[in-house]
Amino acid sequence: MVDLAATFEENAMEAAAMVWRCERTPLALRKAVGLAAHKARGIVLSEPEFLGEPLIAGLRGLAGFIPRPDDDQLASADAGVTEAFAGVASTGSVCVALGRPLVSATSLLMPLNIILLAKERIVARPRDLFDPDCLKGEGLKRNLVFITGPSATADMGPLVHGVHGPHRLLVLLLE
Amino acid sequence: MTESEQKPAGRSVSVDLPRDVANKSDKDRLLRAIRMSLDIESATVRTNTQLFNRGRYRAVAEFPDYDALKDQARRIKETSIANLPELIQALKSSVRGHGGHVFVASTAEDACRYILDVCHWRAAKMVVKGKSITSEEIHLNPVLEGDGIEVVESDLAEFILQLADEQPSHFLAPAVHYSRERITALFKRKFKTDLPLDSGEELTRFARERLRDKFLYADVGVTGANLIAADTGTLMLVESEGNIRLASFLPPVHIAIAGVEKIIATRQEMAPFLDLLSASAVGQRMAVYTSFLSPPLTDPAFALPGKPIKPREFHLVLIDNGRMRMRDDPVFRETLYCIRCSACLNSCANFQTVGGHAFGGECYSGGIGGSWEAGTSKIENARFSELCTGCTRCVNQCPVRIDIPWLNENLGDQLNRIEERTPLGDALGSLTGAAAEDRSAPISKMFFGNYHYFAKWGTRFASISNAFAGSGEAPSADADTKDEKVGTTRTLMERWLGVDHRRALPEFPKQTLVQAARRMEAPSSRGRETKVVLFADVFTNYGMAKRGLATIEVLRALGADVVVSESVPEGRAALSQGMIATAKQHARRATTELDSHVSDGRDIVVVEPSSLSMFRRDLHHLVDSRERFERFRSRTFEPVEYVVRMLAKSGRTPQQVFDISKSKVGYRLFFHPHCQQKTIGCAEPTVELLSALGFDLVTSNVECCGMAGSFGYKKDFYDLSMAVGADLFGQVVQQDRNGGARQLIASGTSCTEQLHAGFERTVLHPIELLASLLEVQESTAKLEEEDKELESDLASVKRGRKELSKS
Repeated sequence: MVDLAATFEENAMEAAAMVWRCERTPLALRKAVGLAAHKARGIVLSEPEFLGEPLIAGLRGLAGFIPRPDDDQLASADAGVTEAFAGVASTGSVCVALGRPLVSATSLLMPLNIILLAKERIVARPRDLFDPDCLKGEGLKRNLVFITGPSATADMGPLVHGVHGPHRLLVLLLE
Repeated sequence: MTESEQKPAGRSVSVDLPRDVANKSDKDRLLRAIRMSLDIESATVRTNTQLFNRGRYRAVAEFPDYDALKDQARRIKETSIANLPELIQALKSSVRGHGGHVFVASTAEDACRYILDVCHWRAAKMVVKGKSITSEEIHLNPVLEGDGIEVVESDLAEFILQLADEQPSHFLAPAVHYSRERITALFKRKFKTDLPLDSGEELTRFARERLRDKFLYADVGVTGANLIAADTGTLMLVESEGNIRLASFLPPVHIAIAGVEKIIATRQEMAPFLDLLSASAVGQRMAVYTSFLSPPLTDPAFALPGKPIKPREFHLVLIDNGRMRMRDDPVFRETLYCIRCSACLNSCANFQTVGGHAFGGECYSGGIGGSWEAGTSKIENARFSELCTGCTRCVNQCPVRIDIPWLNENLGDQLNRIEERTPLGDALGSLTGAAAEDRSAPISKMFFGNYHYFAKWGTRFASISNAFAGSGEAPSADADTKDEKVGTTRTLMERWLGVDHRRALPEFPKQTLVQAARRMEAPSSRGRETKVVLFADVFTNYGMAKRGLATIEVLRALGADVVVSESVPEGRAALSQGMIATAKQHARRATTELDSHVSDGRDIVVVEPSSLSMFRRDLHHLVDSRERFERFRSRTFEPVEYVVRMLAKSGRTPQQVFDISKSKVGYRLFFHPHCQQKTIGCAEPTVELLSALGFDLVTSNVECCGMAGSFGYKKDFYDLSMAVGADLFGQVVQQDRNGGARQLIASGTSCTEQLHAGFERTVLHPIELLASLLEVQESTAKLEEEDKELESDLASVKRGRKELSKS
């Protein structure tokens, strides 16, 4: 049987994302985010939908955490923490459901985007999210963005990571 | 010598800018654009497109169900275009149901007017745009800027082009022709900065810093859409930089512009495109961002201090601008299946060499670009489609299986028909039997499209024709004038027929394949169950008879009963010149000639791959029914492909029939398969058989050698053809460096000519090599003797001519 998490990890790293495996405990998560964003002057968190408040509650105590950011703070924050709706093994993509407060902003505006991905939400291929039987068919109903690595361009000659979107993408794979 | 005399032929003195030659409704601008691209843009375009192309091969190879995915995508597009009026209505309801607005614009002007109105209603001062080729098509920027609105292109490639005032040269990477060094120079010039900007990172940072505030303060964001689902109003938006996400998220007003062909029925149907689009485009498993949005978004609009809070608003502007007319056209409807992935651009050898500033118009480029330009503007603007040589390398790369060469042959047909008829054209048409509809085609096309006629007469008087046309000879370098160098006949051929004087012409043989085959002693057909008719295609019959004879020899040695057909054109030459009515006539002649053989249970073997490809691929456009096409398609084979079949059928190993120790050319081979041969999947048997025999075989991996039938002979395209050929020449040289020269092997007539142009070395067809490994090679030996006689005849005629001209 294919290990979807391992395939995801390999392909995400090939797409220039960083993947850290992380225990699914408040302490471990806080430690991992704190380490990844240790130099960040502003950290913004979008409300999770699947992971539950107790797991992420510890993040609110991190240095630099901005509880209710205004647009000015969003434009100048350094790190955004976003929950993934799903992960895709074959491409190493994370899929983020848009619409809830701050999801677009945290996954797009800050130089560092930290994605929280629950291991059981990894599917084999992108097209699986268009199957009505996959993840209760939610993939067909939501506004979604598949994110595969940090924003990039080859328009300036060589491939450069970090254009209009995040320069670094870290996926915390919650086991 | 004056300055103009020192210039290489065909070069212009001044350097054109891309905008000067964007519109190629006249031929002169097309030729100037080719010159400009070869001089300035070629190296960067080649590097980038070949990188994309290699990535695409790698990425699609990872799909175990690639063909099934393509079939699924094709079906979805076919159904969507068939149901387009209903889907437009459904989409309107979906978008309006979310609180969005939909406007269907009949023309580019209508679309621009609506967008301008939206900007006026919202008092917009600044519009930030994501990449949208359709917005280029409708010329949106000048309309908005003319009204005092600042337009900011945020895709970095479009940002470069906006600074440089150039049109895109590629669907997906609009500034594919810009090297890092040229971008540095452009930024320094335009921004008057002393910053170093000597790396991609520095340039990107510089551009990002200038653009971020624009996003934050823009009043309107404009994007395109890759696909739109009618059932949910969902836009599929694919990008790498994040600018499309910003443009659709930050400003309060989002306007999406899309051609109506982007609509499909359901969001679920977007699934196969999710896999196909990124892989086909630049060889990524997935683009960095692929969004599925049903706007307007529910997140509150972004508002920095000092910027008023406005409610979100979404406008979908659907563009017709000729698309519904294309939908009604049985041929050009296929264009609407295009998902603008650019696989056809990146896999095209000509495009790889000059890019979209030469092989493209004001907006669209590449093989598919001509149909878009013609469909959304006028047929004259598709003149650049002449750079499609019909090599067919794009055909298998298109994720929705569009027959792009057929579209371009039809554009060629339409362009021929708007030419004025001339008495000379009429006379040539009547002489050659070209269809009446095709007689307005330029003389050069009449010549190449009816090559069988000229070849037939040329061969009847082979010695004289060869001597006068200088066939088989490269022009002399030690003569003073062009006339002396190339002879008056070649000068006249260049002037009247467009045949470039720098190309050596193939020699007409003393006897054709048909004549020589009749003189061969045929073994008794008793007991020979495998029956074959060798189709005497025009190129083999009048130019490469030895290849045909070698085929007969090998197949007979394997136990086949082989007969040779009459030599009739099958339509390839006419089709390549856009003379479709004539091609249909020729296809009818060839199929009629072969009918009785097929009824007699014979398989058809065709030596020249472009002729073979007619039977296997193109014929269905030219004959009356699918059944008739199938009758020939399923029975037609390439010589080595057929040898491999016969070996498998008889259970013999290659070594039992062919003895590699007999090879007179050593064991090191360089094989260049013909482009169309690769497309129809019959190059592999040659590789497999020669490798199995023990040859050390290297195979070229260029898409096309640049000769592409008549293309490389044309004076207008000689330079481009040789520039394309440089990749192949480079591969040969590279291989020669490692252990000495390899014997060149090529299956196509024109590939052989191109290799001759590069190396002046013997080039063998694989079947000739195989024939030399048989026990008896009687007939080829005979022909070689006769060739020697012909050469001596030629030499004496030339001596006579020289003496005559001296006196």
